[in-house]
Amino acid sequence: MIVLDPNGEKLSLMSLNVGPTHPATHHCVRLLTALDGETIVAGVSEIGFMHRGFEKMVERGTWQQVIPYTDRLNYCSAMMNNIAFCRAVENMFGIEIPERNKVLRVIVNELSRINDHFICVAAAFQDLGGTTPFMYAFNPREEIMLIWEKLTGARLTNSFARIGGLYRDSYSGFEGDVLAACNSVEKALKDLHACLDRNRIFLDRTVGVAKISKEDAISYGWTGPVLRATGVESDLRKDEPYYDYETYDWDVVVGTQGDANDRLQVRLAEIEESVKIVRQALKRLAPGPVDIIDPRIRVPSHKMAYQDMEGLIGRFKSVYEGIRVPEGEYYCGSECANGELGFTIIADGSGHPYRIKVRSPSLAHVSAFNYLVEGLTLADSMATLPGLNMIAGELDR
Amino acid sequence: MDIIESKSWVEWLITIAKFAFCFVPVLYILLLIPMERRGAGFMQDRQGPNRSYIKVPYFGRIRLLGYVQNMCDGTKLFFKEMFAPKGASKFLYYVAPAIPFAIVFLSPCVIPWFGPMVFEWGGKVVTISGSILDSDVGILLLFGFSSLSAYGAVLAGWASKSKYSYLGSLRTSAMTISYEVCQGLSMMGLLVLAGSFSLTDIVSWQEHHVWGIVAQPVAFFCFLIATIAETGRAPFDVAEGEPELVAGYHTEYGAMQFGLFYMGEYSHICISSFLVATLFLGGYSVPFVTTETMQAHMGGSLAILCWVLAFLALAFLHMMHRYSKKLAASRQSNKNVILQEYKLYKLVGWVAALVFIAAGVASWMFYTPEMAHTAAGVNTIGTALGTAAIHLLVLVVKSVMFCWVWIWVRWTLPRFRYDHVMNLGWKIILNIAILNLVVTAVVAKLLGGN
Repeated sequence: MIVLDPNGEKLSLMSLNVGPTHPATHHCVRLLTALDGETIVAGVSEIGFMHRGFEKMVERGTWQQVIPYTDRLNYCSAMMNNIAFCRAVENMFGIEIPERNKVLRVIVNELSRINDHFICVAAAFQDLGGTTPFMYAFNPREEIMLIWEKLTGARLTNSFARIGGLYRDSYSGFEGDVLAACNSVEKALKDLHACLDRNRIFLDRTVGVAKISKEDAISYGWTGPVLRATGVESDLRKDEPYYDYETYDWDVVVGTQGDANDRLQVRLAEIEESVKIVRQALKRLAPGPVDIIDPRIRVPSHKMAYQDMEGLIGRFKSVYEGIRVPEGEYYCGSECANGELGFTIIADGSGHPYRIKVRSPSLAHVSAFNYLVEGLTLADSMATLPGLNMIAGELDR
Repeated sequence: MDIIESKSWVEWLITIAKFAFCFVPVLYILLLIPMERRGAGFMQDRQGPNRSYIKVPYFGRIRLLGYVQNMCDGTKLFFKEMFAPKGASKFLYYVAPAIPFAIVFLSPCVIPWFGPMVFEWGGKVVTISGSILDSDVGILLLFGFSSLSAYGAVLAGWASKSKYSYLGSLRTSAMTISYEVCQGLSMMGLLVLAGSFSLTDIVSWQEHHVWGIVAQPVAFFCFLIATIAETGRAPFDVAEGEPELVAGYHTEYGAMQFGLFYMGEYSHICISSFLVATLFLGGYSVPFVTTETMQAHMGGSLAILCWVLAFLALAFLHMMHRYSKKLAASRQSNKNVILQEYKLYKLVGWVAALVFIAAGVASWMFYTPEMAHTAAGVNTIGTALGTAAIHLLVLVVKSVMFCWVWIWVRWTLPRFRYDHVMNLGWKIILNIAILNLVVTAVVAKLLGGN
């Protein structure tokens, strides 16, 4: 392929089409690159291969029926999306959820974050050719998945949060399982750090690769661990605290360079912080209700529906008509594993959402991908992409 | 006819029988594939493939410690359809996978599998060399064969008409060339010490002096790294670097064509580990014992060999016993099936242990010095064959150890970037190798004066 560069010089480049299905893209994304030898001179990424029409689909159902769709956004930490959405709707109602619910949501949130970060780091290792750390990260993840199975009955697209409550209370033995999972997470972290911290090959491949400055990262709209890797101390859990995150003892992890290595290291350090939060939350987990008692918002339980006239009516109304969310436009962003997952919601006072716009973190991260990899080699681009933790589910929606 | 009559029938038999060593790399594939898969499982806290089974009367489902899975995979590859992409250069595309695999049969020719056999037959003293082709330039031949196998990858990448394959083959060719230089130069110091290009001479030098790894420790590490790179395995598998190049030069291959590449890679590991063992670990020589001592006490040596094997069988039995006990106490639903299967392994273990112990006792008691040597002090054919067997076993043990190094490294380290591999080869290892050669030459001149 002969092309003219801006100065009018002829360049002989090779076009290489990476994806949509390719081992490195993990999901479906197409990276069209122009290579000079192995150096990427120019690149275009094409997204949308996994577009399902999330935003249109949710307009057809009731507010509760949105929840299972949100599982499919970032499916590596499905329940975090539920919680983010439920929190947005609850804020529109202006209701306060019970204490036990908050603590359970924090535990689920943080375990999901651990899961998500483990997948990201594991995939990054896999792409760099280290298959053993991949397995080291997946073993504790499996323990968390077993907790999910017991808690929700599903492994991948599990949903747990409900508007104004939870699908159910935790099962007996939940605390013990979570503690055991925390212990194996810490053990796996030790193993991973042993594989990663002083490995010359790994450091050569990631340190200084795909660097981005604070300003650029902010201008691309980056949030979450990738932004923190550049040194910006930004975390919604601290900046706009919810669920009493500010009362837990934990730190915002910040990187220094904003390169591929920092993005992975920040994630590993965040796992440690998450374990800290989970341990503290377990101590706060006191018995109590998880649902608010308001049949207009939280569907009454089966018990109430079968024994009580009001309960039956409430259940019937909220299933058939949906809950009536007050009219208005509202935005609520939560700190999810990948960054700020925001829901812009327009409600017209009916039982259905009028419009829901998702601000997905991956979209902002992937939009900077070509900027990051231009001038690097093809192999570097494969060290960059997993660090951004592109999840096509929330990227394409 | 003179040529035929110049040797007795026993000599001819052994000389022809030695050609069987050509198949050693192929046999090693059978060993290496399960070793790699279960070894990877061992390193990654998982089981590895162990579900396929063969039904045997009484013992039930025999999985052979996961071995059946490999047979199934091989069979699957064998029966899949051969397929060439549109626009591929058909002839080269089909020929390319055969090249690395064909080379595999040539490389074992120059490796000394045992010390020269010297024995008396028909009133004459007969000498048979330990390699199929005892060439004066053995090591150079081996490198020649080894670099020929790169043609397979290069042609495959070129003929597939795929950009990924093409990039992969470019990387292979560059890497093979650069690491061959490192490989060659790093063992040059040893050649200076041994004073010969013949592998037999190098081994006998090590037998009478010290092992190469002691004489040339720096060269050993350079050589090992260069050899791992030469086989194209992780962390040097940039040619088939999965994330960026899909599968590199064999992206477009399937079925047995892919199988040939796969087997070629494993046989390359086999040859390389034999080479490392031969050059740096004394080859066939038994540690701390010279061949002469061994031959003088042939009965005892054979007995020790048998008892070592018996010990291994007993260790296997112990392992099986522990597994069974643990399994019997567990709540696993299929434990009865597995315990029944273990009965077969235990039976085999007991038979092997008893046979080896008996063989050891027999050779200890009945293999007298009169049987070992003739009156003139020359070995009988029995002693010569026994020595060869021990030598061969020792070499196999050493090489399997290095095969494990290959597996160990692969499942530990991430992949290099392509230009980092080149830097390591040209800027670091090559320089160390040259420095090592110069120092060795100077020291050898000063000390030995030759």
